[in-house]
Amino acid sequence: MKMQKSRLRPLTLRNALLSAAVALGLVACGQESTQAPTSTATPTAMTSAFSDQAALGAGKFAANCAACHGVNLEGTTLGPLLSGRPFLQRWGDRTPSLLFSNIKANMPPGGNEGISDADYLAITAHILDTNGVDAITAALTASTDFTIADNASELVANRQRSEPPAPEGITVAGNVDDYSPFVPVTDAMLEAPDPADWPMIRRSYDAHSFSPLDQINTANVDSLSLEWVWNMHEGDSEPSPLVYKGIIYLINPGNVIQALDGKTGELIWENWAGPANRQDMRNIAIYNDKIIQATTDARLIALDARTGEQVWETAVADNTQGFENSSGPIVADGRVILGLAGCARYIKDDCYISAHDANTGELAWRFNTIAKANEPGGDTWGELDDIFRAGGETWITGSYDPDLKLTYWGTAQQKPWVPVSRHLTINDEGLFTNSTVAINTDDGTLNWHFQHVPAEALDLDEVFERVLVNRGGEKLVFSLGKYGILWKSDRVTGEFKGYKETVFQNAFTDIDAVTGRVTYREDIQNAKLNEWTSACPSSAGGKDWHSMTYHEPSGLMIAPLSQTCLENAAREVALVQGGGGLAASRKFFEMPGTDGNLGKIGAYNVDTMEEVWSHQQRASFHTGTMSTAGDLVFVGDLDRRFKALNARTGKLLWETRLGTSVQGHPVSFAIDGKQYIAVTSAVGGTSPRTVPDVIATEITYPRWGNALYVFSLPGN
Amino acid sequence: MTPAKLVNTLRRVFSLCFSLAILVCVISFNQNTARAAEANGFRARLSPMPTTPQTKNTITGSGEALVSLTGNTLTLTGAFAGMSSVATMAHIHNGPPAQPGPVVAALTATEATDGELTAKIELTDEQLMALKENALYVQIHSATNPAGELRGWLFAQP
Ligand code: HEC
Repeated sequence: MKMQKSRLRPLTLRNALLSAAVALGLVACGQESTQAPTSTATPTAMTSAFSDQAALGAGKFAANCAACHGVNLEGTTLGPLLSGRPFLQRWGDRTPSLLFSNIKANMPPGGNEGISDADYLAITAHILDTNGVDAITAALTASTDFTIADNASELVANRQRSEPPAPEGITVAGNVDDYSPFVPVTDAMLEAPDPADWPMIRRSYDAHSFSPLDQINTANVDSLSLEWVWNMHEGDSEPSPLVYKGIIYLINPGNVIQALDGKTGELIWENWAGPANRQDMRNIAIYNDKIIQATTDARLIALDARTGEQVWETAVADNTQGFENSSGPIVADGRVILGLAGCARYIKDDCYISAHDANTGELAWRFNTIAKANEPGGDTWGELDDIFRAGGETWITGSYDPDLKLTYWGTAQQKPWVPVSRHLTINDEGLFTNSTVAINTDDGTLNWHFQHVPAEALDLDEVFERVLVNRGGEKLVFSLGKYGILWKSDRVTGEFKGYKETVFQNAFTDIDAVTGRVTYREDIQNAKLNEWTSACPSSAGGKDWHSMTYHEPSGLMIAPLSQTCLENAAREVALVQGGGGLAASRKFFEMPGTDGNLGKIGAYNVDTMEEVWSHQQRASFHTGTMSTAGDLVFVGDLDRRFKALNARTGKLLWETRLGTSVQGHPVSFAIDGKQYIAVTSAVGGTSPRTVPDVIATEITYPRWGNALYVFSLPGN
Repeated sequence: MTPAKLVNTLRRVFSLCFSLAILVCVISFNQNTARAAEANGFRARLSPMPTTPQTKNTITGSGEALVSLTGNTLTLTGAFAGMSSVATMAHIHNGPPAQPGPVVAALTATEATDGELTAKIELTDEQLMALKENALYVQIHSATNPAGELRGWLFAQP
């Protein structure tokens, strides 16, 4: 084996794809080198100012970072890996100076009192050293600006990979037709799904997460029993299974899709679209004879629903620029419509919602969520250059009204999190962040928008699902964001119709009853750098990604809520190209007045907006709520409990305990007239997961155990 | 009561609340202000001060403080357990829920990780009003967390 150095190629998307194709070869090389007698040290371990700095950084890293990123930078469930090819793919084309300022502005997330600039530089040197940056000798300074990849030895970068090569493409071959004859999915079928199916995230275009099945109901739910379990791939997981004609299409972490026979749990086919990571994807879509998948590296792929074989693939955005997807598409009006995340970087491109032809993947339109200076809304970003306007992610899939031909999406807040870090003020609203946007599906133009929280200042986004409800003659849209406020608007005009605070909030001193305009507390409006502000709810959200359900028979919106608060301190972010980030320190605590109950299910009458019932408990809830025509609402929690409540009263009717925390989106379906309830147990996730972890330290559960559980009534 | 017994009593009280898992145990803010007008009994659940993944094992414990009012005289009894180090000081502070504020009065706290709180305080009319608006809270400081380890806002007892 030769210890010869070869330079990493400049990392571009094209090269990344290419390198995926040759990954097998590279990995073989990497494995070989791990058997070499020299362990992880660079071949020539001579001391230099850089290596001394890196050695100092190793200790600082262990003390301040290893708890979340792993002692060997290998990553944990609390923080991503900072080594090897995945890291170099994100940081290879940037500079040590940018890495240093990014870490200083963002890490550790709990605060950085006592970590000096010299410490941060040493930590940066340690990260680079561990990643095989061995061609330099001078100590890093805040302005060291070489390109990281140009100074990293490929050999060492590859040696970080300890896992066996991941499969690509089909790993288990089969055909859905052998289980039940496949019938192509039409627009009409998506507009009025068969009661037996769950053919999209939240089941229907109006996002009710409601099943019209009533075989399992309040009278018999206490005998609900396990039918089968299927263990899923490990990694961060918040999935929504899709069920069509008795077949379950299941998105796993790492961009793996499986087709399972819903009756028996038999695996029919499995496809690895790559990259084979541990990252989360919440949902996939089905249309015609295709399963349509967004990947964590921002590609869009169509598979043959019968066999899992790839039909087409297209890029959504450039992953090397930080763009990624964590939620998949819906298909509306023959178009695949999906959002985009990872938009906190100071670069030319911003986040958008895009539409692609469902048969070919061809781009139809894009809607940019960040207004540039010369565009409508562009004057709401102060004097900020376009390049420094960041945020506006659409990381939760939108909904659709086929009559109005409008698709409804929530957008995330501006980035960084606090106005002072953004070099803006509380008066710089930042369109179209933290808004509901109603977009024409035929051309991607904005029909109307309503900005729920202008100039957001606490990392509390309003990005979650838009639930479409018809009441009397009114066509309404509801949403519930991290502030815990249930918003009601007219979905034809965008006119504000009312709100309800579902958990305690003290961020706003006023919410205008007529216009819905919010006024922040004064100290939040004027928060300075490194100044702690205390507010409720926390970034775990009054509500987060766990979707709420609309139980039409009772007119109740039933939402999974969370009750924690935060202290937040803005950090400084320099306006430099390629920089950016989130830039705040955060600490968390129980919400006063809740008696330590982190979890709450609240039911709200959509006409009066009054709370009709609530169910509260210590453990936080980690699934969406799903209601049924059997007057049940299903939900799962951190403490491994999967529960059925009476949708009209909130009374607990049934519960069982799964292998680990219950996380994802419960669904219901029927095969041959028999009703099933399915839910996933899962680990991983950001604030809604890490915040209860910090507060409810007495709740324990296995740190693995992603699985799909399917329940039914015995003897049916 | 021995500390061990206290812990057990606390555990029982809390676990009762958690297992009932219903509205009864929880007071909503609206109901609270309505009732506070006449209420003479108040309670604070004491829980860790703001924490992060790095500090969750060093800012620990739980407790409870009960307050009864006779005119402007506030009598407080309480218990705490499981702090990371011995209690050094305890105070009542003035600040609306989840918003820290200045000290109003000192409490007596056992110098231990598990112990008791007591106080008899003459409130000004302003402080009495603050109590009724949920704007008084209890905070215990410890040797290793001088800025505070346990904290809880006082709410009217249902
Ligand atoms: C409490 C857990 C935690 C601690 C402690 C922590 N991090 Fe992080 N870190 C995260 C999480 C979660 C992310 C990803 C999400 C984000 O960017 O906020 C992250 C992201 C990063 C990234 C960006 C990774 C990428 O691929 O772009 C870097 C670099 C980083 N951390 C370095 C550090 C360093 C250096 C320290 C110590 C000074 C540290 N972190 C401490 C949790 C942590």
